[in-house]
Amino acid sequence: MKHLSDDELVDFYYGEPAGEQSGAGHRGELGDARRHIESCVDCRDTFAALKSDLDAVPAIDPPARGEDYGQAVWQSIAPRLTRYEPRRFQWPLLSVGMRIGMGLGFAAACALLVAGGFFAGSLWQSKHQQQVVARSTAPAPGSHTGASAQPRVVVVVLSDHLDRSERFLVELKHADLDNSGSGTPLRDEARSLLAANRLCRKKVASDEDPALTTALDHLDRLLAEAANAPGRLNGAALVRLQNEMNADGVLFEVRVLRSRNTDQDASGSDRPNGGTI
Amino acid sequence: MGRNDHDTIRAVLSGDKDAYGALVTRHSQTLLRVAYRITGNEADAEDVVQEAFLSGYRKLEGFESKSSFGTWIYRIAVNCALDKVNGRKKYDEVRVAGHYDPGEEEIQIADGAAGPDRLVLSGEIGALETQALRSLTATERTAFILRHMEGCTSAEIAGVLGMDANGAKQAVYRAVQKLRRRLAPLRVGI
Repeated sequence: MKHLSDDELVDFYYGEPAGEQSGAGHRGELGDARRHIESCVDCRDTFAALKSDLDAVPAIDPPARGEDYGQAVWQSIAPRLTRYEPRRFQWPLLSVGMRIGMGLGFAAACALLVAGGFFAGSLWQSKHQQQVVARSTAPAPGSHTGASAQPRVVVVVLSDHLDRSERFLVELKHADLDNSGSGTPLRDEARSLLAANRLCRKKVASDEDPALTTALDHLDRLLAEAANAPGRLNGAALVRLQNEMNADGVLFEVRVLRSRNTDQDASGSDRPNGGTI
Repeated sequence: MGRNDHDTIRAVLSGDKDAYGALVTRHSQTLLRVAYRITGNEADAEDVVQEAFLSGYRKLEGFESKSSFGTWIYRIAVNCALDKVNGRKKYDEVRVAGHYDPGEEEIQIADGAAGPDRLVLSGEIGALETQALRSLTATERTAFILRHMEGCTSAEIAGVLGMDANGAKQAVYRAVQKLRRRLAPLRVGI
């Protein structure tokens, strides 16, 4: 049989189960200790001695004070106390859970406010950008600025180029083959038109308009020969150019394109009076 | 009749300083008792009571309604008493002398020649027991007083002294062992 330890006997004396702690040697419940003490002579004697010693410890009681002792204490400390300022909320009297809950609620409200502000700001910015874009892309009265103005410029320039090319081809067709001096103005005009034609070819290359591209190619070849023909444009050279022009049907192509381009250009609200590249 | 402690505290925090007087009046006797038991000195105990209520007033904003004001101010008083005792170094260093030596700074008690019966008759047994109690360390003595005289559980002692329950129990065990050793000669004599 294992005897109770002194600590277990102390716990038993004070009526506190030793099971509250996990120390070795403790036997747990008071009932077990009581049964052991009743059945074990050694432990019973040991406990009797312990009880005798502890019972003998005198209770320390303060000198008796009257009913007015509390009031006397209050009178002595009252002058040293500073009055609390009246407060709207009694935060300290709230439990920790309530304070945490209120804090979380406040944080959530702040987060909601920030999110709402951010969302509203995003909406405003998006709307503002749309307005700015609409304002910037809308053509001003009487102007041709903006994205839609650029093709219109091309149409106008091309139309002018086709006009000049048609005139050049008409002159070439009716050139006086006997007059050797008539070739010089044609050559000069051919050189001027050649540069403009190359610019137009370059511009319309990406427009996927095969008829226009083909016509400009034929025109380019003819203009190049007229501009770069060796010597002077005499009758033989003019005849050769006329034959080429007729073979390719360049004049016809230019007239068709010019007519089409005129219709396309007529759909605009206002048309400038031509121009050159 | 007066308000309960929580209502009174709300009033104090709302600016009614005099309402605190009701709390002081209500709990002064309890605080004086435990303070006297720990300090063993009437003047010190009165100081402790005042300090505890002053400290409690200043900390009142931190008081939580879920706890009892009585328990809360009791803890403050115990700690004030402990501080008071710890401030008196010599108090803890007092030892009981087994023989008379005028050079020792020890409390001189009657020797064995007087006989146990005479001790009983003269009431010096009580003095010896009280002195034995004072020979404990401040923590041991406080733990023992709270356990033996105030009827606190180990958990309550632990809460007051700021230690775990096992530490509180060990403090009580050590106190009981030391007391019994001090009181052993007296028990044999009887």
